[in-house]
Formats: sequence, structure tokens, C-alpha cells
Amino acid sequence: MPIVCLGLNHRTAPVEVRERFAIADKTLPEALARLCADAGAQEAVILSTCNRVELYAATTGDSAALLAALRRFLLADQPEPADGVLYAHAEPQSVQHLFKVASGLDSMILGETEILGQLKSAYEVALQHKRTGPRLNRAFQRAFNVAKLIRTDTNIQRGSVSVASVAVELAEKIFDSLNGRTVMVIGAGDTGEKTARALLSRGAQSVLVSNRSHERAEALAQELGGRAVQFDAWEETFSQIDIIISSTSAPHYVIDRKKLEPLQRRRHRRPLLLIDIAVPRDIEPEVNYLEDVYLYNIDDLHAIADDYLRLRQEEVAKCEAIIAGKAREMLESLRDAPGSMGAARLAFGGE
Amino acid sequence: MSWNDKVFFAIAVAIYGLGMFHAFFLWRRGFRRDDWVLYGVLALGMVLHTVAMAKRGFSLHRCPVNNLYEATAFVMWAIVSGYLVMGLWPRLRFLGAFVSPLLFALGVFAMMPALDAQPQFTGGIVSLHVALIALAYGALGLSFGGSLMYLSQEHDLKFDKLRAIISRLPAIQQLERVMVRLMFCGIVLLTAGLAVSFLGMKAPHGQSFLQDPKVIWSLAVWLFYVGLLVWYRRADHGGHRLAWGNLLGFAFVLLTFWGVNLLSKIHNP
Repeated sequence: MPIVCLGLNHRTAPVEVRERFAIADKTLPEALARLCADAGAQEAVILSTCNRVELYAATTGDSAALLAALRRFLLADQPEPADGVLYAHAEPQSVQHLFKVASGLDSMILGETEILGQLKSAYEVALQHKRTGPRLNRAFQRAFNVAKLIRTDTNIQRGSVSVASVAVELAEKIFDSLNGRTVMVIGAGDTGEKTARALLSRGAQSVLVSNRSHERAEALAQELGGRAVQFDAWEETFSQIDIIISSTSAPHYVIDRKKLEPLQRRRHRRPLLLIDIAVPRDIEPEVNYLEDVYLYNIDDLHAIADDYLRLRQEEVAKCEAIIAGKAREMLESLRDAPGSMGAARLAFGGE
Repeated sequence: MSWNDKVFFAIAVAIYGLGMFHAFFLWRRGFRRDDWVLYGVLALGMVLHTVAMAKRGFSLHRCPVNNLYEATAFVMWAIVSGYLVMGLWPRLRFLGAFVSPLLFALGVFAMMPALDAQPQFTGGIVSLHVALIALAYGALGLSFGGSLMYLSQEHDLKFDKLRAIISRLPAIQQLERVMVRLMFCGIVLLTAGLAVSFLGMKAPHGQSFLQDPKVIWSLAVWLFYVGLLVWYRRADHGGHRLAWGNLLGFAFVLLTFWGVNLLSKIHNP
């Protein structure tokens, strides 16, 4: 009884195509019932997220026939998509694909973990409605185990790949704890706001917002649960600040070495993290040479995020080798002794 | 070959050397993985080191801190024991990469033949004095390792940002705290060791403690470290200058300890 997979994802189809195929959570049980009835699948799981719609099915019949039936099911109310939008996998690629999806190797952000939760939910719906059997149960449980193994044994999920999370990681390399830290946002840009939110979510205590337009500063401060400070008076609050995120549209430096040096003396040896995400830059690069001052501009943050991504990509080959081995192992064990539904439920509960 | 204390000590020093070799690769790889190997290597070295000290102590029926070889071995033992305790915290485990070269260098120095002479001093108070001073230099040696770690992390945070973020070294603020606390412990032990000598021991006939080069040198070292810490507390500087001061101070101790000892008639009769 082979396992097959048919679907489309963010690589093969733009969002306007993906959204046409999306299946809402509440209609999943009904869609599963139709899939089993119309396509003749003995077992089925439907995964529908913002980045992918995939049908996993097992049959006692022929793989090619089942894939054709899945295609008819998916395109029931849809015009024929362009070539390459849909992909179809039979064993062993179908199982390898499932393992890759579970491990985040097929995700838009390489190595992300949200997909694993979504895959577990999709499987649970199918399990609760008795649409799975020994093959898909075994395949999905093994997929969850493989995802865990890859998370612990490789660096695929290591590091941050967004500017805001890189800034948080840097802050954690400078301060022994983010608890109680005060963040100042100069300028009311979107990335600055995201970075401040990320720092607050990791324990930073308060946010001060300063902007040329004081109304915008007040609005952002309210959103972040902080306090607005007059743009001309932000230096007066300097002794309280641990982290500055600057994103103004000023054509000149807002903070330079001459201004910062005396201000830093007032802070009595506390480190200062400066995150300059403005273009043109708000902070003079020379300040990085001051003791206890650590400056990162937008290029530094992007470079770190890109390097992290490259490190993750270097891990892909290692992950794929693990996946190929585990898929082969699982298919061999299925050939010898197919698992039972009860055992599958037990194992899933133990995840 | 008889398995005497010197053989165990030599094996322990060779293992510290292996640790140093491994530390080089950890450094090249940017301290990316939380590594138990170095911790295990130094723990093995410490076991053999302890065996060496115990064998010597039991065979001589005294605490083995009675000549320069024994005192140096005791300083090393204090450093490696302190590291093994601190290494229980995963982020501080990499301190081993910075102290293993120091252990190896001290071990090679201790094995120089002239150092293991006849016992140069005996008695309970003398042993207490030497042990306290050795523990003090052990703490200062660990602080030296902490300073190297601090400066390495600071450099990466400023100029090699990806390496800083990928490494598993602790936050720079935590490193500063560790460095300061170890230095403070060293100063307290050094103060106690010197106080024991002034209060509980008498200079040999015709000699004065305050004219002895090693005593003057020890007081200068004590003054330097106390001054460094007071200056750090009072001035508005962070750990950078303290770390450099600590490196220079301990390098001075390492480079002059033996020479000053040779000049001292009280310590090298």
C-alpha cells in the first residue's frame, strides 16, 4: 500500500493561486471524507497552511492511479494550473517530502518550526475522523520523530534570520539578562517597532519613544506600552537607557561620538547597545570604538541574518541524508511489519 | 619506571597540553558547540594532578607546598579545581579554553629540575601561608582566563559580529562580573596569606621581611590588584581596562615570580 503526496507550495505557486486551493480548518473533515470516497484513498491527511496545500494518501491500488485521482480532487472546481504548480510524489519521495516538510526544510524560512505544529494538527484531524491507517500513522509519527532528531542533531534551526530577532540575540550577548532593561526607539519606523516588540517579549522592562512628530511618538508609545519623549529632549533620559533603536529619516547623524562620549560617562560603566536601522545612518560609526558601546547598523544585522541562513543552508545536505536514511528505514519496516492504529495513537500521544 | 608523584604530575601536564591543543580548535571554530570534551580532558588532568599531590603529601607526611615546585603545582591545582566548579555552568565551560594554556605553561615551569629542591620551609603556619598565597594566585589565574575571555568576546561583539552571536560564550556583562569576583577572591586570599606571614611568622635571624625582595614584590602585586579594583570601582570605565590591567598584572606575576624567588634569601635560603 504505497504512500503518495500531491500539492502545491510557496515555491511552485504565488499566493493568489495558493489561496484558491486552501481548505479551511472547519471543512477539513468533510474534505477528507470526499477525498477517501472520490479518490479511492484508504488513508488520507490534508495539510493546508498559508504556504502549502498538500494531500497525503495511501492506497492498496496503484500509485499513479491514486495520484491522478488526487489531482482530480484538488482541481475539482479549479481551472487547470500552469505547468509546475502542482507536484506529485510516489514512494520513496513522498515520505522524504513529508519528513522535509515536518523538519522545516521545505518552508519559506528554512528550518522554522511552525510547520511542525500545523502538520501535527492536520494529522490529528485525520486521526480523529479515522481517515488514517497503519501506513500514514507510521509515516507521520516517524516524520515528527525525524523533525525532533534534526532539531537536536543539526544546526538547521540555529540562529535568527530576521533583523528584529538578530537584535535580540545581540542584546543577549551583551546584557546578562534583558529583564529590567530600558529601550529607546528614536523614529517611529516599522522595523524599529518590531525590534522593540521583540526586545519587550524577551523581558525588556520599558520603552521610550522619541520622534520628530510627537503625536506619532505618543501613538507608538501607547501601542508598545511605553512613554513618549520630546525629540529635542531624548538625551535627558539617556542615563536610564540600555538599548537605542534608531530609525529616523534624518539626513545627518542623530548620535555622534562627540555627543555620546559625555553622555556615556553618566551611565557609570553600563554597556550600551545601539541599533541603527536608518538609511542614511543615524549613528556615527566611530561610536563603536567607545568602551562599553556596541553599534550595529542595518547592514550588520542583515549580514548576520544572511550568514545564519547560509549556515542553515549548509546543514541542508546533512538533514537530507538523515531524512533519506530514516525514510528508507521506515519503508523497509512497513514492508516487513505494518504498524497498528492503536500503537500509532499511543506513539502520537507520547510526542 | 616507578609510578611516583612526578610521573603522575608529568602525565597531568601532558593532558593539560592536550586540552590546550583542543582549545585552539574550539577557538578556531568560534566556540560554537557546548563542548564537554575540554571539560573532561581537564577533569582527567585534575584527577592525575590530585593523585600526584596526594602521593607526595603522604610520602612526606606533610602538605606538599614546601618548595617552588610544590607551590606551583598547588597554584595549578587551585586553578583547575576552580575551573571545574565554574564549568558546571555551561556558558562558563569555555573558560577552560583560556586557562588550559596557562595550566600547561605553569606545569612545564614547575617541572624545571631546580625547582624541586629540598623543602625550603616547614611548619603549619608556613604551610598555611603558602597554601593561601597559592590559592590566591589560583583565583587570579582564573581571573586572568576570564579577562582573556572578556577581551575575546568584546572584540567579536565589535568587529566580528557573526562570530560573537554564534559562539556560546556568556554575555559580556556576565564575564565582567566573573572577572571582578575572581579578582576580589584572589585579593582576599593574598591579603590573608600575607597577613599570616606578618602576624604568625618570624624572619630568620638577621633578616627582615620588609627588606626581602619577594615580600616587597608580593606587597607590590597586592597593591597593584587592590589599586586596579579600587580604580575600576571609582572610575567610569567598564571591564575593558580592568581586563587589560588584569592581563598585564598576571603576566608580570608569571614572568617575575621565579626570578624574584631566586633573589629572596628568606624564600630561597
